[in-house]
Amino acid sequence: MKMSVEQQQEHVQKVGAYIKGLFEAGKMKAAQPLEMEGAIISQEQGKFIDGPFNETKEVISGYYHIVADDMDEAIEIGKADPRFEDGDWRLEVRPIMKVDGIN
Amino acid sequence: MTKHIKENSEFLVEHFFRNEYGKMVAVISKYVDIETAEDIAQDTLLTAVEYWQHNGIPVNPQAWLYTTAKNKSLNRLRKNKFEREYQNQVKEEDLDTLEFTDQLIGDEQLRIMLACCHPAISEETQVTLILKILCGFSISEIASAFYTSNEAINKRLARGRDKLKKNGLNLERTHNLNSNQEVILKTIYLLFNEGYFPARENQVVRKEFCSEAIRLTEILVASEKLKPKNNAHALLALMCLNCSRFEARINNVNEIIEMERQDRTLWNQELLNKGLRHLNEAQKNDSISKYLILASISANHGIAQKYEHTNWSEILALYDALLTLENSAIVKLNRLVAYAKVKGSKAAISKLLKLKGLATNHLYYSTLAALYKDISDHPEAIKYYEKAISLVSNNRDKAFLTTKLNAVVPISNSHV
Repeated sequence: MKMSVEQQQEHVQKVGAYIKGLFEAGKMKAAQPLEMEGAIISQEQGKFIDGPFNETKEVISGYYHIVADDMDEAIEIGKADPRFEDGDWRLEVRPIMKVDGIN
Repeated sequence: MTKHIKENSEFLVEHFFRNEYGKMVAVISKYVDIETAEDIAQDTLLTAVEYWQHNGIPVNPQAWLYTTAKNKSLNRLRKNKFEREYQNQVKEEDLDTLEFTDQLIGDEQLRIMLACCHPAISEETQVTLILKILCGFSISEIASAFYTSNEAINKRLARGRDKLKKNGLNLERTHNLNSNQEVILKTIYLLFNEGYFPARENQVVRKEFCSEAIRLTEILVASEKLKPKNNAHALLALMCLNCSRFEARINNVNEIIEMERQDRTLWNQELLNKGLRHLNEAQKNDSISKYLILASISANHGIAQKYEHTNWSEILALYDALLTLENSAIVKLNRLVAYAKVKGSKAAISKLLKLKGLATNHLYYSTLAALYKDISDHPEAIKYYEKAISLVSNNRDKAFLTTKLNAVVPISNSHV
C-alpha cells in the first residue's frame, strides 16, 4: 500500500493535467453534473460557511473556521424556505436508558 | 481481567457500537418503522454491554449483535402480529431467514442515506438525521457539536422524522440513487465540514464526524448500485487528503500550527496515498466537480516534502479552474494566496484590496496582514491583524492572531 514519491507525484500530475485539459478546452461547466451546479461550496450573505480551503485556512491561518459563532445560526442563513418550517412537529419524549457513550 | 474488559468496552462504545448501531438500524428498518428500529438497536447495544461485561466479549461481536437484533425484531413483529396479520407474517418470514451480509448492510445504509437526504428536508436536518440514525451519535453529542441545545436537536429530528414518514423510506429503485447521489454527497460534505474543526470543546466528537463522513462515502464507493462513481471518489479523495494532515495541525499544547510550520513527518502517509488513489478513480468520463479540484489542491500540498517545495503555480492553475465552477469571493480569496506565491505579495495585495464581499471575514484581513508583513509594511500588517482579531470571537483564533500580530512589531530598534 506504500507509494513512492515518484508515484505520488505522478498521480497528482495526472489529475492536474485532467483538470487543466478540461479548463483549457472550455469544457469545465459542461463537465459538471447539472445537479451540482447549485451546490456552492461557500456561502456569502454576511456570514460564511466555508469549505476546506487549504490556502486561507491552513496556509495563512492554520485552521478551519466558521465566522458565525453559532453554527446553527450560520446554517439557517438562506434556508428560510417556508416549506421546511411547518411548525407542527411533535416532540417525543421516550424513556431511554442512559448508557455512557451510547446516549 | 476487569480492567482489560473495561478498556475494550470504552473503545467498543466509542467506535464499534456507534457504527454498528447505524448498520442495525438500516437493516432492521426494512421490517419495522425507523424509530422502532432505533429502539431495537439501542436495546441490543444495552444488552450487549450488560452481557459482555459478565461473560466477556464474544469472538465475533458483530455477529452477536446482529443475531440479538434480529431476535428482538422478530419478537416485536410477533407482538404486533394481531394488529396487521398478513403484513407481519410476510416480514417475519423474511427476517427469520435474513443474513447480515456486507452487501446488504451497505445497501440498506445507502437507502437510509438517500431517504435522509430528501429535498423536502432542510440541509441541517439532513445532516442531523444522518448523524443520529446512521452514525449513532447521541442527542447531546450532536447538540454540542452544533453549539446548540438538546431541545433544538430533538425538534429538528422530530421534524425530520415526520418528513421521512411522509416521503417514505422505501427507495429501492436504483435510478433514484444515481440521480440523487449529488444530494447525498453534498450532505456528507457538510458533515465533513462540521467535523473539520480544530480543538474546540468537543474535538473528539468533531473528528469523528470526519471519519463518519469518510465511512459513509466508502459505502457509496463500494456499492454496486451506484453509477457513476467519480464524484464520490473525488469527495472521498478530498476528505482523506485533508485528514492526512490532522495530527500536524495541532500541537500537544493545543495550539494551531499553520502549514508552513507543520511537522510533515506527522502527516499520515496511508491516508494521503488513499486520497491519491481515489483521486485517480475520480478522473472519468470527462466529468468534473468542485470536490475534484479541491482534492487536487490538497494533494499538491500533501506531496510537497517541504513547504518550500509546494507547487504554487499548479495550485494557482487549479484555482483558475475552480473559479469557472464557482466564482465566489471566498474562492478568489484563496486563489490570491497562491497568486501571492507565484506573482509576489505586492501584486496579490493590490488584487485583494479590490476584492469585494469579504468585509466581515477575518480570513480576508489576516491574509492581507500576512502579505503586508511579507513586504515589511508593518503598519498595514498591524492594522489588518487588529481588524481580523476584532472579527473573531473564539479564544483560540484570537490567540493565534494575537501571536501573529505581536510577531509583526519589530522587537528592537537598536542598531549596533
